[in-house]
Amino acid sequence: MDNGTSNSASENETITLKSCDGIEFHIDARIANRYTLLNNWNGGESACIPNVNGKVLEKVLEWCEHHINDPQLNCGDDDSRRRNTIIEEWDENFLSCDQDMLFEIILAANYLEIKPLLDLGCKTVANMMKSKSPEEIRSAFNIDNDYTPEEEEQFRKENEWAEDY
Amino acid sequence: MASKMLIGDMPELMEMILNNLNNEFYSLYSCALVSRHWCKMTIPILWQNPFSFCKFHYSFLNTFHLLTKTKNSVLDSDSLEWKVQKWIDFQLADSKPYASAKFLIINLLFNLFIRSGATLHKLKLGFYYYEINPVIFNTLGRNELFFSRLQDLSLNLYEMSNLNAEHLTVLLKILVKNTTKINVLEIEEFDYIHEPRLLHALECFIKSQEQLRQFSLISESYATKFHGIISALECQNKSLQEVKIVSCVCNTEFKMLMNCKNLEILRIDDCKNVNVLRASLKTLELTNYSKFYASNIVQILKESGTLLQRLSLVIINGSIQEESLLLETLKSFCPNLTYLKLTNIEVSTQFFELIGNLQKLQFLTLHFFEILDDEPEILVMQFAKLLPLTLQYLDLRNSWFISYIDILLNNCHAPLKYLLIDHFDDEKISKSLTEFCIRKNTLNYMGLNRYSSYSSLDDNIKKELEEYVTMVPHERIIVKC
Repeated sequence: MDNGTSNSASENETITLKSCDGIEFHIDARIANRYTLLNNWNGGESACIPNVNGKVLEKVLEWCEHHINDPQLNCGDDDSRRRNTIIEEWDENFLSCDQDMLFEIILAANYLEIKPLLDLGCKTVANMMKSKSPEEIRSAFNIDNDYTPEEEEQFRKENEWAEDY
Repeated sequence: MASKMLIGDMPELMEMILNNLNNEFYSLYSCALVSRHWCKMTIPILWQNPFSFCKFHYSFLNTFHLLTKTKNSVLDSDSLEWKVQKWIDFQLADSKPYASAKFLIINLLFNLFIRSGATLHKLKLGFYYYEINPVIFNTLGRNELFFSRLQDLSLNLYEMSNLNAEHLTVLLKILVKNTTKINVLEIEEFDYIHEPRLLHALECFIKSQEQLRQFSLISESYATKFHGIISALECQNKSLQEVKIVSCVCNTEFKMLMNCKNLEILRIDDCKNVNVLRASLKTLELTNYSKFYASNIVQILKESGTLLQRLSLVIINGSIQEESLLLETLKSFCPNLTYLKLTNIEVSTQFFELIGNLQKLQFLTLHFFEILDDEPEILVMQFAKLLPLTLQYLDLRNSWFISYIDILLNNCHAPLKYLLIDHFDDEKISKSLTEFCIRKNTLNYMGLNRYSSYSSLDDNIKKELEEYVTMVPHERIIVKC
């Protein structure tokens, strides 16, 4: 975890962002300062963030605002030694939304390069898969099984060792 | 409808999700059985480090040699040796015939791994106790793909035999030809090698790299000769960001660090002559096992100045000499520290002035602090009030502050999210903690010693406290420099 808190904007400064469906958000400029891509869309009259609708952008900005004072990660600073495996309670509640919204948040965080939110979203989805059977995972995420029975049997045989864990 | 990222669009996001299940073998196994696409995404992760578990299953070896095209594999020879030992569970494993059998299996597994068509991401090699079969090196020489994506190389040279030194020299020559993208290089037990050809091969290997970012040189007992290894880093002066040296006697060769424009992090563990080191850093971590004079690092602190964000100064079995000089330098030159870890410093007015001056401080660790004042309660109260409003992590394990933790909490205005202490079994502390949680509403985790006497607290008190804060073993939340 690195902690460069080099936000140069002051607490009272705000900037305006617009979602792809035209909804405007006035946010603390320090948020945009932390995430370069957000800053890119600052202020322009017609400039809006493509691919992210108002509902999703509102959620993303809510998360950014809550974490405004968090330490910032260095680029490439992702070794396991510094990785925190705990999902904080607030984040857990924040991402206890419907599944469509969860995936939309992940896509938006990826698009806007908000790495901590992206990691958090991915971790949350991974937790939904933990200790589940293949059938439970298919049902949870609505995935069709396109294996032939022979393929499935072959796979089970080859990876039987992992089933014991 | 399934999210598009789970059915083939944006595979990089699905990979990120599945990477969180690393070492969760059953979950990965289930994921691989969900669909063909999920199988394609999961298998490389499931087989990423196939020796990271110790239960032997007959199907594992059957499949292992069939497995091809594994991406991002990890090969750790030490771990492999240990796992094989566990697998075969020989009663007399250290006796000669059994040990030979064990090393034969290790060599066979090595060979299988190389021949499987894997492309290696990380390689960790140790050479003590056993000889690597020369056939393996022949195979390696013919398998360019195996190393083509290697990014992380760790060599442990402990008690290396002449034969293994010869083999490693060959390996390094192969690597020079096929691998230029190493990001992380660690050389452990460096002082065990004296073979000039191997030292030269190491130097050439370092020079051949194009993007070395992190370099560690770990010696067993105060290495004084570096045989051009450190100077070779000059070729990496544009990419090198982090250097760690352990048990080295620094000499003029280390002055090359000054030329590494992107060097941000320096970790110095049990080294001598550190006063020759010069760099402008974001992170400095220094650990010493005897008396340490602050004047040794004053220059580096001054050069780093406002750039310095993280500092850890841990003195074990000794104390910091010239404390006043250290505190004054930090106060005058390094106001942007966000992380500070100090040990064995006396709580003084000068120390308070420093803490009060660090207005960006977020992480503070104080160990073995002594309070010599006649009225320690007043000092603790002053200290608590001085803690900056940016502070979210306070680690007071092994410090005298623990005796006054209730006073500290009652007077603390910092929005602490994490508090680490050794133990508490006192209702007075529990009450202060609850009040702090209610007043600040920020504290999420309390890190305690795994064997703490917290469990002896009254159940009702514990229940009340746990409504506000989660108790965890401190290892889970500890933040390193």
